[in-house]
Amino acid sequence: MSHSGRCILEVRNVVKVFPPRPGRTDALLAIQDLSFTVGEGEFLTLVGPSGAGKSTLLNIIAQIDTPSAGEIWFQGRPIATAFGNALRPGWDCQIGYVTQDDNLLPWRNLLDNVLFPLRVQRRLSAESVERAKMLLKATGLEGFERYYPHELSGGMRKRASLIRTLVYDPPVILMDEPFGAVDAQTRSQLQADLLRLWNLGRKTIVFVTHDIAEAVALADRTLVLTRAPAGLAGEHLIEIPRPRDLGNIYTLRGFAELYERIRRQIQ
Amino acid sequence: MIRAKLVLDRLLILICAVATWQVCSFVFGPQWFSTPWITGGRFIASLLDGEILHHAQFTLAAAAAGFLVGGLPGMLLPFALRRSPALTAMLDPYLIGGYGVPKLAVAPLFILWFGIGLGSKIALVASIVFFLMYFNAAAGVKAVSIQLLDMARIAGASEADMARHIIWPCASPYILAGIRISAPYAIGAAVVGELISSNQGLGYLIQAAAMDFNVTAVFAALIGLTVLVVGINWILDRTERWLLRWRRTEATRVRRFRAAA
Repeated sequence: MSHSGRCILEVRNVVKVFPPRPGRTDALLAIQDLSFTVGEGEFLTLVGPSGAGKSTLLNIIAQIDTPSAGEIWFQGRPIATAFGNALRPGWDCQIGYVTQDDNLLPWRNLLDNVLFPLRVQRRLSAESVERAKMLLKATGLEGFERYYPHELSGGMRKRASLIRTLVYDPPVILMDEPFGAVDAQTRSQLQADLLRLWNLGRKTIVFVTHDIAEAVALADRTLVLTRAPAGLAGEHLIEIPRPRDLGNIYTLRGFAELYERIRRQIQ
Repeated sequence: MIRAKLVLDRLLILICAVATWQVCSFVFGPQWFSTPWITGGRFIASLLDGEILHHAQFTLAAAAAGFLVGGLPGMLLPFALRRSPALTAMLDPYLIGGYGVPKLAVAPLFILWFGIGLGSKIALVASIVFFLMYFNAAAGVKAVSIQLLDMARIAGASEADMARHIIWPCASPYILAGIRISAPYAIGAAVVGELISSNQGLGYLIQAAAMDFNVTAVFAALIGLTVLVVGINWILDRTERWLLRWRRTEATRVRRFRAAA
């Protein structure tokens, strides 16, 4: 059970099997009997090797995929079961999802991209636009509002995709290696941005990564997943005090041991 | 600098073409080829007395009306069919079959049904443009990225929102390509309709002049037709560049290099 408040999200005995397909005769077991809970306001990271079924798990929680067995509970109600009721992606804007690819709309400028969820939720107002601009400013995107995605750097696009989810304020945000494809420098900047923004609202975050240092640096708690089929290999409370200096995370007390313990569990 | 050179190069090709024309008229006789000089004079004269404009208007009206009657439904059909793959599969062989039928062979039927006026030309243009627009728009609707749709759904977008904010813009380059492919076909179909039977339009003008062995008038009408098609293409080009300004393409990059040079 989480150390920070009551449980908001629960993964119960989830199994995911992909059926056989041409070139592969046996079914692919991606997730095997995975269970864990997420506390309200908690920053949970899931770390595991590539291909461990992490994205599949987030897709199931976000309701763009169904579990083969098991259930997802959200705020005390089952929202996904194997005998699928119709999928409701994002569960009425309660679960945000920042994907690996930024998925910005190429035909909208930065500001319109960030405002997209508010626009389709019919929640566009002077205040919400002001809030979006504040978030853009907080992440150094001020002055780029009228730029199209192809005119922005990879790091800027990542920030935009992050803000697009933060701006409509879903209680739970899923993040799937959102900082995967950027250089190390930009990456620690993005991580710092994320922690600062998280500190403003203390959303519940489930953050998936294959980078152990990132998992430890950001989290309240880290779950270690095994190679596919994904199962739980370990759980670690990260008691490094906040605010954390991400530039010097390697030198913080306790970091090295944690890193080493997780690394051994992944192997 | 580079822009001026381009214009010069293009002018050079025009001069070569006109020279070849002149040589042909020397060798084979002006009764078959007229001459560039006389044709030019004739073209300007018929421009001034409004004759060519009147006929070009008729052709353009037939093409535009045919485009609306055939192209618009062809463009919208893939959007309507997107949500029902079963219906799409049902209609598919008929659409492919309809596309395959040579429409010019159907033209006499259209004349029987709609007479020799504007109606039969509109029908001919519509029957060609419908399929061109349908298949282009269908390719565009199929090319929509599932990730973008998922993103939009999670963000709370309704089906209508997704059609408007994602599927439509994503398909728009395909639809514009469809329009650009269709435009010359639409003009061409209108002209052929007029060639077969009409008392107006550039096609009629060509046909009537040829009957009189008036090669000069045929060439003048052809020049009018070329100007019409090039003009339409120029307008479409500008429109496309403006509508798709969000896209980074090789073409925009080349333009930027050119601007920098």
